Amino acid sequence: MSIRNEPMVRVKKFADKSSLFTAEIRAEIDRWIAKYPDEWKQSAVMAALRIVQDANGGSLSQEAMDQVADYLDMPPIAVYEVATFYSMYELKPVGRHKICLCTNVSCMINGSDDILAHLQKRLGIGFGEVTEDGRFSLKEVECLGACGGAPMMQIGPRYFENLTPELVDSILDGLE
Amino acid sequence: MSLGGSIERVDMMKSMINYFRSLFLFELLRGLGLTGRYLFATKVTLNYPEEKAPVSPRFRGLHALRRYPNGEERCIACKLCEAVCPALAITIEAEPRDDGSRRTTRYDIDLFKCIFCGFCEESCPVDSIVETRVYEYHFENRGEQIMTKQKLLEIGDKYETQLAADRAAQAAVR
Amino acid sequence: MSDDAKITIEVDGQQLEATPGQMLIEITDAAGITVPRFCYHKKLTVAANCRMCLVEVEKAPKPLPACATPVTDGMKVHTRSPLAREAQKGTMEFLLINHPLDCPICDQGGECELQDVAVGYGSDVSRYHERKRVVRDEDIGPLIATEMTRCIHCTRCVRFGGEIAGLRELGATGRGEHMRIGVYVEHAVSSELSGNIIDLCPVGALTSRPFQYRARAWELSQRDSVALHDGVGANVHVHVRRNQILRVVPRENEAVNETWIADRERFSYQALQSEERIVQPLLRENGALREAAWEEALAGAAEALQAAGSGLGTLVSPNATLEEMFLSQRLSRGLGSSHIDHRLRQSDFRGDAEDAPMPWTGSRFAELSSNQATLLVGSWLRKDQPLLNHRLRQSVLAGGAVMAINPVDYDFNYPLVESVVTRPSEMVSALAGVAAALGADAAGVTVEPDATQRAMAQRLKSAGQGGILLGVAAHLHPDFSLLRRIAANIAEATGCNLGLLPPGANVAGAHLVGVLPHRYPGGRPVEQAGLDAMTILAGNCKTLLLFDVDPEFDVANPALMKQALAGADKVVAISSFDSPWLREHADIVLPLAAFGETSGTLVNLQGDWQSFCGVVEPKGEARPGWKILRVLGNLTGVSGFDFLSTEEVINEIRLEAAGMTPDNRLGTPVSTLKPELSESDELQRVGSVAIYDVDAMTRRSPALQATPDAWTPGARVHSSLAERLGLVAGDEVRLSQAGCSASLPLQLDDRVPDKCVWLPMGSPGSENLAAGFGPISLEKC
Repeated sequence: MSIRNEPMVRVKKFADKSSLFTAEIRAEIDRWIAKYPDEWKQSAVMAALRIVQDANGGSLSQEAMDQVADYLDMPPIAVYEVATFYSMYELKPVGRHKICLCTNVSCMINGSDDILAHLQKRLGIGFGEVTEDGRFSLKEVECLGACGGAPMMQIGPRYFENLTPELVDSILDGLE
Repeated sequence: MSLGGSIERVDMMKSMINYFRSLFLFELLRGLGLTGRYLFATKVTLNYPEEKAPVSPRFRGLHALRRYPNGEERCIACKLCEAVCPALAITIEAEPRDDGSRRTTRYDIDLFKCIFCGFCEESCPVDSIVETRVYEYHFENRGEQIMTKQKLLEIGDKYETQLAADRAAQAAVR
Repeated sequence: MSDDAKITIEVDGQQLEATPGQMLIEITDAAGITVPRFCYHKKLTVAANCRMCLVEVEKAPKPLPACATPVTDGMKVHTRSPLAREAQKGTMEFLLINHPLDCPICDQGGECELQDVAVGYGSDVSRYHERKRVVRDEDIGPLIATEMTRCIHCTRCVRFGGEIAGLRELGATGRGEHMRIGVYVEHAVSSELSGNIIDLCPVGALTSRPFQYRARAWELSQRDSVALHDGVGANVHVHVRRNQILRVVPRENEAVNETWIADRERFSYQALQSEERIVQPLLRENGALREAAWEEALAGAAEALQAAGSGLGTLVSPNATLEEMFLSQRLSRGLGSSHIDHRLRQSDFRGDAEDAPMPWTGSRFAELSSNQATLLVGSWLRKDQPLLNHRLRQSVLAGGAVMAINPVDYDFNYPLVESVVTRPSEMVSALAGVAAALGADAAGVTVEPDATQRAMAQRLKSAGQGGILLGVAAHLHPDFSLLRRIAANIAEATGCNLGLLPPGANVAGAHLVGVLPHRYPGGRPVEQAGLDAMTILAGNCKTLLLFDVDPEFDVANPALMKQALAGADKVVAISSFDSPWLREHADIVLPLAAFGETSGTLVNLQGDWQSFCGVVEPKGEARPGWKILRVLGNLTGVSGFDFLSTEEVINEIRLEAAGMTPDNRLGTPVSTLKPELSESDELQRVGSVAIYDVDAMTRRSPALQATPDAWTPGARVHSSLAERLGLVAGDEVRLSQAGCSASLPLQLDDRVPDKCVWLPMGSPGSENLAAGFGPISLEKC
């Protein structure tokens, strides 16, 4: 889509930016804004959303997205568009550990269904749900590019490959 | 000459035959014979209104508006019947009903204008406007020929069983 | 671009000339070669996401989208070759996969681009047998009905929001099959141009809510007309069925409204079916109005007018047609009274002697788009003249600067480079500061310019093409004469165009035909000037003739109006709509044909004479205004009322006003101007009229009144003022002005300057108060 996203689209620049986020988050976002031309600071929206999501317990609330819009002088809908487009932005609260299980072709052939069944049995939740204690949430993802180690899952920044139910148990036990 | 003489003879023979035929009332007797024959033959006339002719499921009689089995009127005010009507006999007005659905507030058919072509029935995407098998109706006052939505729905309710059966019978060829 | 830069391309064997950089579809459109499209729109940026306009270009390996393929010399294009057709057919099949088959209940049915293109380029049957997707609808306000399952994601509405409305409210969230167009967080869209997305939507996803399910495209006849809510005179098509206006859509006129119209032009037609229409002449008998026959009512009116003679005061709506205005002034002057005015909401007439001959925008509308610097004075251009604001916004997109001196921090859909928000009393000195910074005469106001004012002056001065626009709030300001004089001086000092943007659809016309106490038709001065609108209301006329005026809401000072009505011997009203004050005070009410029911001419703020025909019969016994006035002229024995049609009237006007062109040059300055508003500490009212309260029709359109832009009854103050007074939002407060008072709920709005109360003229409750601008007091009930 080639919407002419003039930097001026937002009518009034949000004046009181120091009321948004914490000083650390602002500094972090500013570091990204500095990478782009002055009038195109909205280019930092993806980084800003990621930073805010991490600071926000792994998910984005509508207020958080609105704050990003204010901070970058963008119309809120433009931020919603980005946040809903990319699957790694979470719009609903997630658990402390987000288990991303790949169910794409290679993993499926190598038994990701069994891993899923085991996870569901152990955690008592399905895809898109959070355990009652808020410790885990389960998410179905497409290929993460680790077909060589299928079946695989990602928890936080880490990949776990060549999964078996026993291995899954030991991984989960190792997480608080 | 000889050819002219033979024509004269033939003419004379014809007038002779005609003379004798009329003299002996031959044609009258032949007519009476025909009457007599039909007097004893099997009858084909019906004693209308005690007896009625069979009616095709495609018969195009008085109009009706149908409902769904749950009582909801079928008509969605798409106005295709109004558009297709060659006699401009149909007048529809519509607006959103309270539940937000598209319904008519007025559905009039002027039976003085209607030519019973059946296009309305054919154009209807929801089988709402139909023509029934009813052909016995009359008006006593001017204005009664306007079939309002209310009247049409009542006719539909009255003949629904027959209408549904006719539609089912014709489903394969429609 | 010069001619030698032209190149030649070949489309379907036809040699066509093009300019490098143009897109293929522009060339084929100009040559009348049909290329199907959904997402392409000539006024929006190219998105190339519907893929419907695929055509075959020789030497290109694949079909190319005509909307996003720049032309090159010698290019050979086939729009109907087997390859192009196959591509178009394939696209069509994909588009229809998720499109519901609900054409019979879809309002777009019969005028749907998808239907048309499917018939022309699609296949007869679909090979898709799986389930179609369903999208939940969002309620985006009282003007636009949504059915997002029908959406084909052309994103015209999204692009319109960002590029034309200047407010991105709709967006495409999600991706792939889950992509949907919506507002994400449900709210009513607030753009004053939002209705245009109804026209832009090629399918039935966005349709008009007031028109919903009312009629089919094929039942409607399309007639031309001109909208009458502001001085732009947007060209419209009026869609009529069985003598009823069911819909208004834009008519393309590049010089006036391009392809857009504002929401109030689109939806005000609702008022025509209002319960408050007057459909029968009314006569007062034994203290109450009763229905009467036309002959009786006209005889009564003629008698009253004749008896009044020079004591007649005539107030004419600034939205009246040129013909009506001309005849009303001829009637009044024929009876011996020059007390006639159309400036009903204006309160400062001290500068009448230096009035411009024919106010206008100072430049053609299209030229506003190339302004490099523009200063708005007392103007919420965005809501007052939405289409002019669109033009000015184009200038901002091209790098121009817009500045403002306003009594409220009005929001614009572009950033203001410099902005001064002051109380009304300080607007004069703020503007005088700009003049002082330029060394220009500040009409006797001495003020030391501050940094902002110097910056404004600098920008105006350095602009190759600049404008200073006096808006509605400036025209209604008690020191309008001063503001105008200073603005004219600034314009002269900087070489900028002075633009006057008064409220009303036919103000330029009123100046043409002399609906002014001090001007005859053609702008000739009246030796003994009559009384202006304010003075007429001050009780100086014993007989009042109101032409299309809602006495409560259409005047600068309702309190004076009420007194004038009560004090008048006779009140003759020619009016389309009933109102309580007419019920109470009018002696004779003649029903007037409203928009679409009369022929006439409007002169817009760039001086275009735009004539239109009546498209429906007037409701009930109502009659076109020019006919009513003609008969009144005949009955009162005034000469020169022998017209048989509006064409004859307009021909006469052409003679009388020959040679008059838009002209903002002020006459010899009136020397004794002193600011009327004192800069003391007392509360001041800011009373410029709100967007949907401008005239009788917008006030009676239920859809417009339900939008977020409609003024919610109440008075708005800054939160700090409320805090000092110990008030919170929602408190019922008593507002008092010159002996009258009204109680209204309090609303907090930090756009209002301190020590001000924002309460527009024409808003509900304002009829119980006095002047729109001036001192006001506020206390808790």
